[in-house]
Amino acid sequence: METVVPSGETPDAGPEESPAEATVLRMLLGAQLRRLREAAEISAEKAGYEIRASRSKISRMETGRVGLKLRDIEDLLTLYGVTDEKQRAKVITLASRSREPEWWTQYNDILPDWFETYLGLESAAVTIRNFETQFVPGLFQTEDYARAVTRLGHQTAPEPEVERRVRLRVARQDILSRPRPPRVWAIMDEAVLRRPVGGAAVMHTQLLRLAETAQQPGVRLQAIPFARGGHAAASGSFSILRFKERDLPDVVYMEQLTSAVYLDQRADVEHYLEIVNQLSGEALTPADTVRFIEQVIKET
Amino acid sequence: MTSNEAPGTDDSASKVGSLPFDVTKAHQARSYDYLLGGKDNFAADRAAVDEQIKIYPDLVFTMRANRAFLGRAVRYLVGEVGIRQFLDIGTGIPTAGNTHEVAQALAPETRVVYVDYDPIVLAHARALLDSSDSGATEYIDADLRDTGTILAQAANLLDFTKPVAVTLLSILHAITDADDPYSIVATLLDAVPSGSYLAISHAGPESFTAEAREKLMDSTRRTSLQQYTLRTREQVARFFDGTDLVEPGLVPVEEWRPDPGARAEGKSVYWCAVGKKR
Repeated sequence: METVVPSGETPDAGPEESPAEATVLRMLLGAQLRRLREAAEISAEKAGYEIRASRSKISRMETGRVGLKLRDIEDLLTLYGVTDEKQRAKVITLASRSREPEWWTQYNDILPDWFETYLGLESAAVTIRNFETQFVPGLFQTEDYARAVTRLGHQTAPEPEVERRVRLRVARQDILSRPRPPRVWAIMDEAVLRRPVGGAAVMHTQLLRLAETAQQPGVRLQAIPFARGGHAAASGSFSILRFKERDLPDVVYMEQLTSAVYLDQRADVEHYLEIVNQLSGEALTPADTVRFIEQVIKET
Repeated sequence: MTSNEAPGTDDSASKVGSLPFDVTKAHQARSYDYLLGGKDNFAADRAAVDEQIKIYPDLVFTMRANRAFLGRAVRYLVGEVGIRQFLDIGTGIPTAGNTHEVAQALAPETRVVYVDYDPIVLAHARALLDSSDSGATEYIDADLRDTGTILAQAANLLDFTKPVAVTLLSILHAITDADDPYSIVATLLDAVPSGSYLAISHAGPESFTAEAREKLMDSTRRTSLQQYTLRTREQVARFFDGTDLVEPGLVPVEEWRPDPGARAEGKSVYWCAVGKKR
């Protein structure tokens, strides 16, 4: 959707800068190429034909889901009538920067592609909103809790693989201690606090960690007690990632058993924003949530 | 021009209480978010704002200038006057430079009570507007017209025997004359002691041609949940009865104690002033 508001950065109260992650650069590159294509009034089909690719490849490229060969980008720029060398160089530079390897490439053997995308988005986001029905949000899991969750999903995996998966999960938490951490705003069903994943002892330590994390600046935890009755998310768990760049839409992420769903069409995203806002209104305040977690700790 | 320009025919908009969570009509808080470059807005908000910008291109400037006025007014009240308590009615969706952030950066012990009646503000405010360690912040989900609820709940955090700054930015034009905004403001001022402050920003009709005004009103009637009553400089001045305006008096928002070297990049339609209760 076109906006007539002058471009600038989202004045989110969050951090001013997020690291220039390859994923977000790719999304920015895609957004620029889409604008150029639309300005030249060229269909995605025609653009795809030019570089011997499908219409859907162009669309995935324009939303930053896949990278592109530099050669293809040059051809597209020519097709879009971008002849100014400076303007071309800008786009090409962005494209080259978006090809630098990420920290998680060392985990490539255990990382499905769809999760790699998520890691890129997660580390580029300035705000991560999250609704969880079953598990403690990944960014707040203790190692033991993460191990228990991993074993649930990979029951036959050999021990070393499980350990690498656990280490990956814990490494993700580094974004919380970087200089400009994202704001993480998580809403959890009471079930998250009650289900003793990994056993009572693991859960106890996890709850202590959660109560501590909840008081970190930049972290907002809100619990929805059972007593509040049915809540707005019949949908199950999801995350909404927001990026600093005005051009980048929010992305909704939902993990499934063997893949993940990403939504970045505005109408879809808005539906989830609506839900998460309702949930947030129904949930306890962050201060009451800390007390609630402490209460659960006492009871278990 | 006053309430005769405002239709006030929408029953749901004139009922006192929280707004419904409606994404099919533009809400003021979400439209404001869009105008300030935020992402917490919906298609209906953007469509309404885009339509209104076509009629009045300086709308973006006006909203940014209003936000900047908030920052300067709070800095003035905390830094120069020594105010440590705020009743901020019409909070909006939290963005950079919220009242408590500006105030508590200068005086961490400052207490801020926010009031809004839009559920999207409630969702954000409950989670995001929390206080610094020594100060305190509260959020009240209430309609400006329900001054009884506002004052009763605000008393939990604010000490009404000491000066309070009441801020009503970009909100009174959403109150039609039928709801008597003057008595609402008077009730709030009555509750605070002498030496308290009142800050208001309010849309005025002066910069619009009659045609543009009619177009704008027609646009909000079709697209927006809230309806607006523009008030002239003299009408806005009446809100300050019983106070002495601090320099420079009642001026467009961009002209109120501008930061040194600041140059206005447009012309706003918002009047503003800060008055000290006698």
